[in-house]
Amino acid sequence: MKKTVDVALPVGPMHPCWKEPVRLKCEMKGEHVLACEVELGYAKKGIERIMRGRPWQEVMFLAERICGICTVIHNYVFIETVEEISEITVPERAEYLRVIVNELDRIQSHLLANFSYCYTIEHETLGMYLLSIRETALDQLELITGARITCAYMIPGGVRFDLSGEDAITLQEGLSAIETETMRYRGMFETGPMIGLRSKGVGILTTEDAKIVGAVGPTGRASNVPFDVRSGHPVYQRLGFEPVVYDTCDNWGRIMARFDEVLQSCALIRTCLLKMKPGSIRGGGAIKGGEAVHSGEAPRGELRYYLKTDEHGRVIDISIRTPSIPNIEASGHYMIPGVSSAADVTSSFISCDPCVSCCER
Amino acid sequence: MSLLQKIKNTVRSRSIHVCYVNTGSCNGCDIEILACLGPRYDLEQYGIYVHNNPREADVLLVTGPICQQWDDKLKSIWDKMPEPKVAVAIGNCPISGCLYDREGSYVNPPASKYIPIAAEIPGCPPCPREIIGAILSLAPEIFRDYEEKNK
Repeated sequence: MKKTVDVALPVGPMHPCWKEPVRLKCEMKGEHVLACEVELGYAKKGIERIMRGRPWQEVMFLAERICGICTVIHNYVFIETVEEISEITVPERAEYLRVIVNELDRIQSHLLANFSYCYTIEHETLGMYLLSIRETALDQLELITGARITCAYMIPGGVRFDLSGEDAITLQEGLSAIETETMRYRGMFETGPMIGLRSKGVGILTTEDAKIVGAVGPTGRASNVPFDVRSGHPVYQRLGFEPVVYDTCDNWGRIMARFDEVLQSCALIRTCLLKMKPGSIRGGGAIKGGEAVHSGEAPRGELRYYLKTDEHGRVIDISIRTPSIPNIEASGHYMIPGVSSAADVTSSFISCDPCVSCCER
Repeated sequence: MSLLQKIKNTVRSRSIHVCYVNTGSCNGCDIEILACLGPRYDLEQYGIYVHNNPREADVLLVTGPICQQWDDKLKSIWDKMPEPKVAVAIGNCPISGCLYDREGSYVNPPASKYIPIAAEIPGCPPCPREIIGAILSLAPEIFRDYEEKNK
């Protein structure tokens, strides 16, 4: 990729804005970024290789530790794949409890992503507000599952713990706090003049480019690609789910899409609490052999598992496609080249919410 | 104890600079370190500042099971830090590799093979209050009377 270049600017692998090791090699002409190359490989652990040949009881915990920020969805999709192979049905209450925990995880992940963006554009005040409200979401997660991050809440046939009436009231109060505060911070982000200068029209990913590169999640939806795996999920269809779509195609739209999804997740949890009836939270069933492909909507986009097991439940083959791969590609190929300042490189990269440990596994 | 040492001890106890390095962790420990920065746990009220720059750090927080890429880089980051310095391993990964240290993986734990680790905080991931507690109990012990001890 050598061109007429003034400066080659490396960013990372250790950088104050990065939470995980990744390196961007930018080619600059003055302050103008001409090209960018993303260098991955600092967090490769070979999880899929470890998974092969192990029983599902072990792989379940390994799958959860692919990514620390979106642990719940990895657990959710892996367990749903196992259930699809073994034809296990889940009680209705457990289905709603799964959605509640998944949406709480999405809330905390989106708030963390928006914190990272605000921190990167040097708006630390708003970032700290968002971290503060994220703790409320983590408290609710701890209340239901017993752990803040790696909770292993879902198991084949249901969930581990029930939600008691008192806890449901605490959850409602927590949701009200999250909603009011998020509305306030969303307003601050929407109208902030300095935030607008740093975000509007920066890191453009047009709809055509998003379709070519296959951008998923809020990154794709902010570029007017109305694709959300939750629209096809039977439980979410019962809840009347509609994806959030923005057509601004820039950093500002991606962050606003995440704010809107936080509010949407709060509404989904409330609907779940209304629709939930008392009953069993754990069904029965036996693990069978077979293979299946299953998708779920992670906070960053579509997460897909291919799983092949033998009749004892041992994993013969597994392949995981995480949403960060197309999003990092979109960021490196389309968002960053063309930004007019070196300071916008980090903010454009963070705006697609890259999760390197997800991406490399 | 000299007057200069007394002043240094007082000043150092409220000015601990922290740098964290992710050597291939799953982000679980990193977001718990990040939660420490937030208003609820608020590291800065104890005089601990996170800059993520090894050249001005006193404490290095190591997360992750040391992937192959980090075999030599972790040592070079440690060498960049000025004295007095201390390294803390956060989570099970730098201590034992957690569940990644199996046959066929690309990890090479523990972190103490590469740099001297002064404290280990187990947990997958540990709570923010455990991380803060470890830094607060460890750092003053290491930095107290540093110049007189190392004359």
